[in-house]
Amino acid sequence: MIALQTEGLKVGYGKKVVVDSVEISGFRGQVLCLLGPNGAGKSTILRTLSGLLQPVDGVVFINQQDIKTIRKKELAKEMAIVLTKKFAAGMMKVYDVAAMGRYPHTGRFGSLGEKDHALVREALIRVNADYLSERYFEELSDGEKQKVMVARALVQEPEVIVLDEPTTHLDIRHRLELIDILKTLSKEKNITVILALHEIDLALKSCDKVLLVKDNKILGYGEPEDVVSEEMINELYGIKNAAFNNLLGTIELENRQKPSVFVIGGNGCGTPIYRTLSKHQIGTVTGVIHENDIDYEIARTMGIAIRSEQAFDEISELSYRAAIKMMESVDTVIDSGFPIRKINEKNLDLLKAAVKAGKKVISYRPQMEINEIYKTDKSEVIHCDKSCDLIHLLQQEKQSKPEVVPMRAVL
Amino acid sequence: MKIFTVFSTGTERCSILSNIKMETTTRRDYRSLVLMIVLAVAFVLSFAICVSFGSIKIGFGDLFKIVFGLGDVDPVLHDIVWDIRFPRTLGAWLGGSALAVSGILLQVFFKNPIVEPYILGISSGATLCVALVVLGGLTFGMGAAASLVVFFAALIGSSIVMVVVLIFATRVKDVVTLLIIGLMVGYLCSAVTMILQSFATAEELQGFTMWTMGSFSGFTWAGIKILFALSIPIFASLIFLVKPLNAFLMGEEYAISMGVNIKGFRIALVAITSVLTSVVTAFAGPVSFIGLSVPHLTRLIFKSSDNRLLVPGSIMMGGIVTAFCDLISRTIVSPVELPISAVTAFIGAPIVIFLIMKRRTSL
Repeated sequence: MIALQTEGLKVGYGKKVVVDSVEISGFRGQVLCLLGPNGAGKSTILRTLSGLLQPVDGVVFINQQDIKTIRKKELAKEMAIVLTKKFAAGMMKVYDVAAMGRYPHTGRFGSLGEKDHALVREALIRVNADYLSERYFEELSDGEKQKVMVARALVQEPEVIVLDEPTTHLDIRHRLELIDILKTLSKEKNITVILALHEIDLALKSCDKVLLVKDNKILGYGEPEDVVSEEMINELYGIKNAAFNNLLGTIELENRQKPSVFVIGGNGCGTPIYRTLSKHQIGTVTGVIHENDIDYEIARTMGIAIRSEQAFDEISELSYRAAIKMMESVDTVIDSGFPIRKINEKNLDLLKAAVKAGKKVISYRPQMEINEIYKTDKSEVIHCDKSCDLIHLLQQEKQSKPEVVPMRAVL
Repeated sequence: MKIFTVFSTGTERCSILSNIKMETTTRRDYRSLVLMIVLAVAFVLSFAICVSFGSIKIGFGDLFKIVFGLGDVDPVLHDIVWDIRFPRTLGAWLGGSALAVSGILLQVFFKNPIVEPYILGISSGATLCVALVVLGGLTFGMGAAASLVVFFAALIGSSIVMVVVLIFATRVKDVVTLLIIGLMVGYLCSAVTMILQSFATAEELQGFTMWTMGSFSGFTWAGIKILFALSIPIFASLIFLVKPLNAFLMGEEYAISMGVNIKGFRIALVAITSVLTSVVTAFAGPVSFIGLSVPHLTRLIFKSSDNRLLVPGSIMMGGIVTAFCDLISRTIVSPVELPISAVTAFIGAPIVIFLIMKRRTSL
């Protein structure tokens, strides 16, 4: 059942249109999420949907009824809001703030009956804030305050809850908790939740529908799986020097420097090294990585040049040769400490070749293992186990360059 | 018991919590009820004390006889009580309540702990219009009619300033800016008043200056009748306003989202504060700080932001505090009488400084 729907909606202030043609519909029990950069018009849309702002044109329907024709007091029983703006709660306790949500349901004096008290208690328990009941609202942390505000909205017994960036200023625990509460509520209480979020990853994982807003336009609307692609996210936020990985839901800083390091990754061992190098603006290439490896996804998102192999295949001679060629242009080779199994045995050959060619080889393996697999004395392969060490080692290298043998010679 | 708590399920937790809740709620309610009764007794007592004290002391026994016309009492005492003490104390008593109510309404509406009619320039607006009438020679003779004219002049003045401040308030959300606008409007009104004063005759000027210094001695029985006729129905009508006032504690947007009729609320607020402020200003002159300090004192006593307690509490506290301020003003350096604002400022100014230093807005 549709709880909220718009038709030809233009939102804005006075006659100035901020976002054009907002066409959405929120079913009961759905979480609808607005994504987009700051100033795109998300708040304006939310304020219009909640009746705080008159639409410039078009109609907002709440349960098939035009919001303009619903009396404020009736609307309050169908819709509750949670805003970002702080308010001075003075001497109000948490319980009092939550109980304020009973406003549209109580009589002239706002006195609470047994049922009202029960609802307030239930709401506080639901958002894990019952232990805060007797505290002064002012004294709470931002995360706790936000949970109480959600409880207040619940107490209003609405069918639709509109939240404007509820996770702003919250720590990671409260963020996850809040999103989880909202998701659970929407399903259990059959409430339509409409919210603006900044956490793309959370939005993709927890929302039933997304609305992408940029530069006062709607870029896309629909189920996150259909609408959200890496290109879309990069365009939506106009991301430069970084990229979004749709599969993993992470943001990675781009690494576009001239490569001076070759990282041999695998099984996720390469990822922390890529990140360290990107952080210190050191260009890198990587190989030979299977396409189902997490290192592949991360390196791809960072824009690092990769020599890859098809998933579950043994590294082919072709890939091996290509990797050798890539290695030629760099001074240093990093052994990420990947597990060596049959399908990536050739990576070990790559490492041995690098040692033979006189490249600086830095290995993340324990010293014992280094001795065992390289079958050389220690001095040729440098053992490393901390990220700060790595950068130090890479910078040291410039001072004393060992004798270089052409890569082709070792093939 | 401990094990039980550890393994308690959601519903059990709920019931445990509910027990705690019921306890604290009833304890709080009980405390508030006792406080309210104590305040009510003090409210009545303050009136009796303020009538009986003065340059001539009148015992409670005599007072009782005079009020109920029992037995033989010195006719001089009779006249002092009925013609001087009663109107004056009633004026201070109920006028103080009126100012305190205006104060609490404005503080909640502007979400600002240091607004009151005097600070927002509403009193200055009333003063200006009274000056126009008194100094501009618009008094049509003397007597009860003059009281009404002065009252309506004050009402027009305070309403205009109130509306102007409200228009600015919807544009600027910043609290400090609003205060500065209020102060500036107040200065403008004072400037015009001063210009009027410089053109006035010495005789008019003396009366007007006395009035601006503020004193509840200005209340005649005619004034008292107007004060009662206006403030009692308004106090009664506040029953309809405490609930939206509570919703307003969370700010305008939440209030709207909970179903408060914002337009009606605004109109009611402008009307109530303007009427209450102007009726006091018309007869007692601009009285400072009562509207500011009394709501805060009441909050401190009740330890609550609930306007269902604070509004009736402020009405009574306003009466008590103002009646005693008036008593001090006329007795402390008797026979010289101090302007009422000189006394109220001693209570109000430190509170403002304290609130600003604390910076924690506690409405």
